[in-house]
Amino acid sequence: MASELSEIESFLKATAPFDRLGDELVRAIVRKITVRYYRSGDEILRSGEHNNFLFVVRSGAVELRLAGDELTARLERGGCFAFPSLLRGGEVRNTTTALEDTLAYLLPADDFHALRESSQGFRDYFADSEQERIRSAVRDLKRNRSHTLEQITIGSLVPHRDPVSCSPNLSIADAASLMSDRDVSTLAVCSDGRLKGIFTDKDLRNRVVAMRRSLDAPIADVMTPSPLTLPEGASLSEAMGMMAAGGFRHIPALGPTGELRAILSATDILAHLGDSAIDTGMLVSNSATPEALIAASKQIPEGFARMEAGGFHAEHTMRFTSALGEAVHRRAAQLVEAELGSPPVPYALLAFGSLARGEQLVGSDQDNGIVMDDAVDGAGREYFAALGARVSDILNDAGYVYCNGGIMAKNADQRLTIGEWRDRYSRWISDPDEDSILRATIFFDMRAVHGSAELAANLRGPVLEQAKSSPLFISYLARDAQRSRVPLGIFRNLVLEKSADGEKVFDAKAQAILPVIDIARSLALSEGIAAVGTLERLDALAEAGKMARGDAESLKDAFLLVNELRIAHQAAQVRAGIAPDNRIAPATLSPLERDYLKDAFSVVRAGLESLKRNLAGGIA
Amino acid sequence: MRERLGRWRFARGLKACTAADDEVLTQYAGAAWPSPDIPAREAPLLALDFELDGLARNAHVLQAGWIGFDSSGIALAGARSVDVRSLRQLDDSAVAVHGIGEERARQGVALQEAARSFLGDLAGRILVAHGASIERDVIRRISKAMFGIEAPVCSICTLQLERRISPNLVGSDAYRLSAARKRHNLPGYAQHDALSDALAAAELFLAQLSRLPADVRLGSLESW
Repeated sequence: MASELSEIESFLKATAPFDRLGDELVRAIVRKITVRYYRSGDEILRSGEHNNFLFVVRSGAVELRLAGDELTARLERGGCFAFPSLLRGGEVRNTTTALEDTLAYLLPADDFHALRESSQGFRDYFADSEQERIRSAVRDLKRNRSHTLEQITIGSLVPHRDPVSCSPNLSIADAASLMSDRDVSTLAVCSDGRLKGIFTDKDLRNRVVAMRRSLDAPIADVMTPSPLTLPEGASLSEAMGMMAAGGFRHIPALGPTGELRAILSATDILAHLGDSAIDTGMLVSNSATPEALIAASKQIPEGFARMEAGGFHAEHTMRFTSALGEAVHRRAAQLVEAELGSPPVPYALLAFGSLARGEQLVGSDQDNGIVMDDAVDGAGREYFAALGARVSDILNDAGYVYCNGGIMAKNADQRLTIGEWRDRYSRWISDPDEDSILRATIFFDMRAVHGSAELAANLRGPVLEQAKSSPLFISYLARDAQRSRVPLGIFRNLVLEKSADGEKVFDAKAQAILPVIDIARSLALSEGIAAVGTLERLDALAEAGKMARGDAESLKDAFLLVNELRIAHQAAQVRAGIAPDNRIAPATLSPLERDYLKDAFSVVRAGLESLKRNLAGGIA
Repeated sequence: MRERLGRWRFARGLKACTAADDEVLTQYAGAAWPSPDIPAREAPLLALDFELDGLARNAHVLQAGWIGFDSSGIALAGARSVDVRSLRQLDDSAVAVHGIGEERARQGVALQEAARSFLGDLAGRILVAHGASIERDVIRRISKAMFGIEAPVCSICTLQLERRISPNLVGSDAYRLSAARKRHNLPGYAQHDALSDALAAAELFLAQLSRLPADVRLGSLESW
């Protein structure tokens, strides 16, 4: 027929999840739709009623309230609602009201179910729970971002090169000599041409030297037996996934008959991607002067943008960027020590906040301090005053600008002895109030980046102990987390802020990332968990049975998802020569990304709710 | 008074149709026509739009689009659209507006076939259109030409209704279909496609109806 319902067809084609269906199918679906109009204030569905339709907002906006009470979502153009009721046979739980005059498209339940049957994409989108939806969203994003990584095989990256190998009976001492002679960091342990194990520099440090093992013992005793392997034809992304999941950096690549062909290292991958992270790291660590260090660290944002373009996942980009940040801090302290002479007493340079968590992106300010041995005297304090001031200045020039809140080593209250730090933490914990908690949370994400790790550990240990046994402090933390204004929708949202040029934006960090960090921190501290990184904290909480595994995974997914968007946003800014920020205009996101974001927001809100229920009590 | 006169003429017109020797008209006459005293929310409706090849009284129909609905919603399964075959040299300005070239116009169905189709769907329903007098007149004219009898049309004009709902807007542009839709927060549609315009009018009427008392009489909304 000459004239079809092209307006409705093109709308659906641009609206998730109908955008995943073929043109023919969408045309057929259009004919199944009923159009309804609701005046602002009209009740569309009432909790307890029976519903037979999937609703799609064509224009206007609606509000969903659980059991007519608790606000669960605001949806605007393109938003779908009422599908949970279809998935559980029709029973409506959310009372839905038109916030504005609203035109809605209704798809009958039978057609909805038929589409779920026939289309995987459609089914994934309407996964029973937000948790599942967001998981499939993260999978989607990763798939798209890793396109090139999918196509390159390990074999093409590390051609057969007779990896250095030895027999399982070789002594540790001889194995180490072999590695040294052949200048390799990884040794394949084989017998009868089969790979039996793998032994690395790191194993030498951790399993031999640190454990004071006899060097005469056979290498088989200290190798990693039966390491995970991949066939040569496996993709880079598989290899990276395996490395990330297993926390190791080497993977043996096997030939068609299972024979060892090569050992792939993380460095091979980085080198192949033309990524400068490692190079920049070398430049930073080898800088002979502060000027050289500043020049080297100026390359970090560029490398960050390249990682994004190269398809790195958020967790890797954060980890690499933080590792470089840590290297800059360490090198700055080393160079200043060289200027001022050796420190009079042991000390450690502490990082707080995102750098401590290993979650740094670009454009962060510096958050640091110094912990000194209690034996420090007046002259010693002057030494550290000079050191702190100089380190802060170098970092500022290197792109880690001065901290607005004054959390930096150049300020006297950030240079304390271990006893003084303990007192300070102790006051925060034993005598909390809203204001002090607000400013103190960042201090509970802490890590030594240079100097005496022992000092830092001696500080951290008692702090964790005290925090764990202070329910009042924990409840203040949990309540502080509730300050975050997590958006309900994207467009019609009370909490969207206006950017300088009047565009509505949301602050990806403050409104989605910080709440997850807060949730993980509050719970981790309440359980005395030592991990600092948010993902690690969530894992540890699940491990310890303090959080349902599913909830932990969902929060991790939401965290990674928003960070993916943040990283893409900042990388684009870096490429455009703009100072990176966290203010994302929803209009710059695809409809699908906006949907993902909505799901992430609901996960974060649920996490905050649960935190409030479980820990925020105890405050009158 | 005007309503009563209109109703009387409508009844007389239907009576004339009963005597016609064509099934389309006798069925049209015999349909269950809604009483003007029922609430408008219960009335069966049909949004219909013609694209014409000019503004003259004898302009040819190039395209017809229509869709049945009622206050509970517009089921798109019932949407119909036909291009009408025309042998007349098309008025260039009309072609520019509607985008219907001569080639396409030649390939369309005969006017008679189109008319049987929409008269069949209009039987027992109130016609809804923005500027309904045009559609009403064209239907009467076609019916007269085809059967020698004018099929009477009962119609609601969303343009007139909009003037009632928002009486004091400045300029006639404010009452155009797209401007009226915008006031009711309805999406912008490409215009000058018969079905798209019919759907646009149907949605507009639903929006207007939501602003009228729940029990507003059908007869009080009809235009004659």
